[in-house]
Amino acid sequence: MEKKPQKTRKEQVLEEKHPQKAEEAEKQKRAPSKRPMWSGSIAIGLINVPIKLYPIIYDRGVAFHFLHKPDNAPLQYQKVCTKDGKVVPWPEVVKGYEVTKNQYVIFGKEELDAVKPESDRRIRIDKFIDYLSVDPVYFYSSYALMPDKSGDAYGLLLQALEKMGKAGVGRITLRTKEYPALVHAYKGALVLTTMRYGYDVVDPSGFEELGELKAPKENELELALKIVNDLSGEFDISEYKDTYRAKVEDLIKKKLKGETITVEKPPKEEVKGLMAALQETLKQLEKK
Amino acid sequence: MEKLTKVSFSNLDKILFPKLQVTKAQFIEYYIKMAPRMLPFLKDRPLVLTRYPEGVAEKGFYAKNAPEGMPSWVRTVRLYSHSAKRNVNYIICNDLDTLIWLANLAAVEIHMPLSRVPDREKPDFAFFDVDPEPPCTFSDATEVALLVKEKLDKLGLTGYVKTSGKKGLHVLVPVVPEYTFAETRNFVHAVGIQLMKESSVVVSEFKDTKKPGKVFVDYTQNSHGRTMACPYSLRVSEEAPVSMPLDWADLKKSIKPSEFTIQSVPSTRKEPWKDIFGHRQKLEAKNLGKETAKNP
Repeated sequence: MEKKPQKTRKEQVLEEKHPQKAEEAEKQKRAPSKRPMWSGSIAIGLINVPIKLYPIIYDRGVAFHFLHKPDNAPLQYQKVCTKDGKVVPWPEVVKGYEVTKNQYVIFGKEELDAVKPESDRRIRIDKFIDYLSVDPVYFYSSYALMPDKSGDAYGLLLQALEKMGKAGVGRITLRTKEYPALVHAYKGALVLTTMRYGYDVVDPSGFEELGELKAPKENELELALKIVNDLSGEFDISEYKDTYRAKVEDLIKKKLKGETITVEKPPKEEVKGLMAALQETLKQLEKK
Repeated sequence: MEKLTKVSFSNLDKILFPKLQVTKAQFIEYYIKMAPRMLPFLKDRPLVLTRYPEGVAEKGFYAKNAPEGMPSWVRTVRLYSHSAKRNVNYIICNDLDTLIWLANLAAVEIHMPLSRVPDREKPDFAFFDVDPEPPCTFSDATEVALLVKEKLDKLGLTGYVKTSGKKGLHVLVPVVPEYTFAETRNFVHAVGIQLMKESSVVVSEFKDTKKPGKVFVDYTQNSHGRTMACPYSLRVSEEAPVSMPLDWADLKKSIKPSEFTIQSVPSTRKEPWKDIFGHRQKLEAKNLGKETAKNP
């Protein structure tokens, strides 16, 4: 019963989020966060640069909740014992590491907590490397680092990294996980990018298919180079949009206004490519 | 979704060029992208198609007659076909939708006559079909095409060159539509005979067409009912080559016809034939002479 008012509040939020000026809303959503995740420092040897850490990555999908169809009540997840089928309360839950099938090593909460790294709110820089020498396969997530207290050290580090195209590489503990991390300059700010461990990324050169590749003929290679050259351009992330999300949000807006929705069969992937080409051609023909 | 075309697509994931794994969707995309460059050529010309609905590795067919059950908005013109000896409903492609519709029919090659309706007897191009006979190759054809250009330059005429998409080259002289096919044919033949006298590799008599190691400068295509691959038309071959308009300067740089394919052409920015219709030329009476009586 308590869920009801909550739902209408969500509706209000949605309405607020989708006014006629959708663009403005877009901008609002991307505004920098007001509250830092934490305050700490970048440690380079004995030098400390005080910083505040803010989130800047938002993976915005459209979140749906599962409801019970007859009465639209939200569904709840419960842990059920596979042996007696009864709901298990939290105090009776322990963690088990599966050694072999159905064989577990049991851990209590305290045992694991004892070995968990604790965040000391410090980004420890080990060395400086060329920023562009790090392959994006390792990138995990990024955070903005803002100057805390005095900005002098921050400004110096930022300028030095910008000038040299270098990034500090080191370690950070966020919540209870330690990550390899980069501190680099991006759009006039220091940014922290957490990374994956080397052993969590497969080396693709080990794939057998690569061994079967034939060396291309010289003229074929020339042609390939020409195609790449002809299609070369500047990187602009705004050219890419999640059309699924936009469509779902549009449907939500219509539903809130009480409009009925006719379900259109979505065009296949191939048709989308054709429509993009068509739009471009129609534009060109108009100009003629 | 907003409707951008009247055409409803079919079998988009069918592979039309198996070697390159080009799907019908990509094939249609090619013609959509090339439409701004192709439509000025196609306008008011009764078309002949080669269709490969099962892909170029399978049998295709030659199509003059518009298919049954075509959409009502496709324009056709009913004309007597001398080769078929009956009336044929030819397709006219004057707009983007018709071109897309042709692509959806898997019309790999789009051939156009050298004249337009309604004045079918008055060509607007004089056409030199430069066709090398093995062991002659494309580079021999290139030499001969450059000889044709030299001759045209001397006559004060501007020629335009394109790859045939196969082994040869096509040289076109856009002309004011005042001449008959007999006249443009005589003109092309006269130039061919001149070249034959000056170069040992050129032949320009119909009986010599298949002479090995020669390049035939074919004048016979300048005839009623004959067609030429439209500029930027694909050709039937596993490499999906394109009949590609070229700059003369680029031709001199030992271009290979295999460079121009469904994959490479859409991203080219050059349009060497862009001004071709602003350049319709007059042929001098002396060049239309009757010294070339030997018609096929």
